[in-house]
Amino acid sequence: MAPFIIFRAIFGYLFLVLMVRIVGRRPGKQLTPFEFVLIFYLGGLTLTGMVGDESSLTNAVCQILAVGLCHYGLAWLRFRSTRIAKLLDGVPLILLEHRQWRTNALSHMRIQDDDVMDMARDQGLRDLTKIKTAVLETFGEISIVPADEEKS
Amino acid sequence: MSEEAFLSPVEDTVPKTGDVAVGEDLEFQRAWWRFERGIWIFFLLLLIADLLGLFGRGWLAKAKAVDQSQTLSLDYERIERANTPSIMTLHFGRAAIQNGKVKVFVSEEIIKPLGAQRISPQPESSTIGDGGITYTFAATQPPATAEIALLPSFPGAHHFRIQVAGGQPIDGDVVVVP
Repeated sequence: MAPFIIFRAIFGYLFLVLMVRIVGRRPGKQLTPFEFVLIFYLGGLTLTGMVGDESSLTNAVCQILAVGLCHYGLAWLRFRSTRIAKLLDGVPLILLEHRQWRTNALSHMRIQDDDVMDMARDQGLRDLTKIKTAVLETFGEISIVPADEEKS
Repeated sequence: MSEEAFLSPVEDTVPKTGDVAVGEDLEFQRAWWRFERGIWIFFLLLLIADLLGLFGRGWLAKAKAVDQSQTLSLDYERIERANTPSIMTLHFGRAAIQNGKVKVFVSEEIIKPLGAQRISPQPESSTIGDGGITYTFAATQPPATAEIALLPSFPGAHHFRIQVAGGQPIDGDVVVVP
């Protein structure tokens, strides 16, 4: 039944958006093998439920159109409302500021000092004391503002 | 149209923490963490319910029904999953076998919404009418069973009826989940 197929596609998309959102941000510029497994496995499992026993080209095209429209709609809502943008993407979180760790943020986001130091090394910083502010961005990277900037 | 119409001055709109424009919103983030904690508990409860069979194919989904005259007992799943095969088993009692035959009436709901794929063993005859199909099997003596393979296509709640000739009807409900 056509409406049911479209509904399945939209549900699958929204469910994946929710799952990826709540599974959490992990720092790093590239996906780790651990995250590859998660993304591909979630995608594969969702695909099984979305397609069901209907493997026609029409079904595939209609579901792709439905997911595309849904994505466009979410992107539009995200653009129009900061509240929805926060819900979909989250907000940046300060992990380290003025030589103080934000332990609550670190533990909730499951981030260790090693992860922050990884990004600090990437910017040529030798130790954590050279960091003024470390921010976990909404896309999962950790941005480092070096302490030296204060002097300049 | 002039190009100025598409330009607007840069304003310092991103909230600052110290002197760095971060855009942190701790109040929102704390509310999100509470939501996350709640939803993980909800997901865990969903999984436990699934393991118990609340969404089919488990202990809670299995059902058994016996007619008052003991001619027929039925094993089926009260909760089915769409596009997932299952078996409905009919156990015939001694009183169901009359003149070496068992006649069993199966309502239309089992044939169509619940998607009866095949009946085993092959009945000698099938007669349509009265809102269902009456199957006739050759039989000797109990234990005697027949199986109906089901494959529901769509979610929904369905009421069915099965009756052996000379016995009381068994009415049941099956919920098909997506």
